[in-house]
Amino acid sequence: MPFTILDGGSFTSTAAGVKIPLPSSADYFKIVNVTQMAAAGTTCVAGEWFGSKFGAGATAANDGIRWRKAASNAILIDTFATATATNGFTYVTTAPVVEAQAANAITGITAANPAVVTQTNTYANGDLVRIYNTTGDLTIGGMVFQISSASGAGYTLLGLANVAGNGLAAATAGNTRRISTFSAVEPEYLYITNISRATQMVVSVSIDPANYYVVGNKVHLSVPASFGMTEANQLTGTILALNAVAASGSIGAYNMTLDIDSTAFTAFAFPASALSPTTRLFATLAPAGSKTAYDPVTLVQTGYEFNLTPFRTGEFVPYMLIGGGGAGNASGAANDIINWASYKFET
Amino acid sequence: MSSGITNINNMAPELPLQLSEDLLSTPMFNLIHSFGADLHYAESHIGRNIRMSRYERLSTNGGQLDGSGIDPAPEVVVRSDIDAKVEIYAKTVVINEQVVLWENDKVLTKFTALLGQWLREKEDLLMRDLYASSVSYINATGGVNGDQPSEISRNDINNIERILLGNDARTMLETIEAQNKFGTAPTRDAFIALASTDITPDLQNVQGVLLKNAYPMQEGLRPEEYCSVSRFRFFVSSKAAKTPGASLTGATVYTIPMYGLEAATKVEQNNYSALLGYRPPYVVSSVAQNSQLYAKFAIGRAITNQNWISGLNVTQRL
Repeated sequence: MPFTILDGGSFTSTAAGVKIPLPSSADYFKIVNVTQMAAAGTTCVAGEWFGSKFGAGATAANDGIRWRKAASNAILIDTFATATATNGFTYVTTAPVVEAQAANAITGITAANPAVVTQTNTYANGDLVRIYNTTGDLTIGGMVFQISSASGAGYTLLGLANVAGNGLAAATAGNTRRISTFSAVEPEYLYITNISRATQMVVSVSIDPANYYVVGNKVHLSVPASFGMTEANQLTGTILALNAVAASGSIGAYNMTLDIDSTAFTAFAFPASALSPTTRLFATLAPAGSKTAYDPVTLVQTGYEFNLTPFRTGEFVPYMLIGGGGAGNASGAANDIINWASYKFET
Repeated sequence: MSSGITNINNMAPELPLQLSEDLLSTPMFNLIHSFGADLHYAESHIGRNIRMSRYERLSTNGGQLDGSGIDPAPEVVVRSDIDAKVEIYAKTVVINEQVVLWENDKVLTKFTALLGQWLREKEDLLMRDLYASSVSYINATGGVNGDQPSEISRNDINNIERILLGNDARTMLETIEAQNKFGTAPTRDAFIALASTDITPDLQNVQGVLLKNAYPMQEGLRPEEYCSVSRFRFFVSSKAAKTPGASLTGATVYTIPMYGLEAATKVEQNNYSALLGYRPPYVVSSVAQNSQLYAKFAIGRAITNQNWISGLNVTQRL
């Protein structure tokens, strides 16, 4: 069966994973690291991916044929899933992705702001993980968090002030599962981790809200009575600022400032861990449109942002995820020029 | 061994296979996610995003005139804008002429019907994703399975009713009045709830459940309807929203949107809500051997009022 080249292009690597939209799908996909091809070294210079039409020869998720250079510049061929695990190609056809992975055990979550998780992992900064099976911190079990300062031994949850003043405590165990950065539809609902008492309330959330909302958007708060601040339940507010308040006390680094005066509200706090699973969870906020406004002082017009504001599909599928992580990985080292091409059988 | 008998061993049928008089059914899941949504329309040539606007109610605080001649303070009217991006989806089937020529069925007709089914199924899933992604849900905790969330219970359903009524949501479905029939009971005017078929055993166990067969009248009921509990009538689908590994213990969480009038909308692009087309062989293939069928539709979707939609996260027990 003849192949047809469908699409191709080039990008400059940042060492992170790259998503290539493939509207017409692909049966064969190839990358060439133009930068490393011309340089002496021991890095990946090319990669190949084979689709399901190759039957038993199809490429597994996050794998593929890797062409790399030895120190002598001789070419060695192996797969991305060698003993030294590196990231290859993942062909993604549905969104959001539910990652099939073995239970990934946490060995601790600190009682701190921000909370620090100890876990042997392969996550990258910015990844979203759902934490479950927690011990000690039962009331965060099931929530989604964005991670930062990731290392192979742990990471930080900038959106979680895991402190006693916020009703939370240290955890000694749990599991995680990585999930898609974007929901099937955006803007998506977010988990609330704290609400301050102020003339303009600061709502802390578990993931970076700047990726999903803009100033001028409205959000609707859902705060079960178990979180204390019953006065905030079912209120709608307009976002005045994103991540403008530094983390301190029970306020996390991921936050949004709303035009709601909460000074007289009851304090917000997670219910005690021992009350789960019989206490109602979670506190969340959901998109409620926007408020079009013009500030004559700052000359800023809000409410006409047409990229992040409209309800829309969260992520285009299908796409090819070219795995990141540095020189041995498919997306190469930072500043490498990567050429890519996708092919498809004619029939 | 007998001899001289003409049997199927020495005279096999000329045609070893006969086709049954009718095709078997193509499976189709229950389409439950669109019929409760408002319908809006987008015109051509004026942009991809459609904006729906709502004026918020005025405050009822104060307002009394004291006779001094001083006017009350004017109130600034607040308008909320809800934007939806119109997106286009398509599916195509390419057919070789030999299939058209020799297949026993009239495949172009049958494949067109399949594309029509795809169109409605895809639309249903897109609306499902809207409800699953952009609405606040509350974990059910009235069950006894020990997980967070628990299986669905009457207390949890009543809590959602309280939220919707507290936000002045209007019910979607009308009362079915009582009749003098054994084993039936009336249903109140109701909000809509959309659930997975996986939790139907748990639904049957909810206190006060009224299964569909116990409604006083069956005329006009949708086949997807399963039961009524309190102020909600439940519609079920095998494709309703669920999230694997999302409960406290890592079990699958089922999301149940529960809403009233004007909570969500489906936007149809005028003249683009359902297009079915055919490209003849001389267009598709240089030797005129392949033809093509396609289906396309444009859709926008939005939650238009978060006050009038809520819902439950639940897990399974039974």
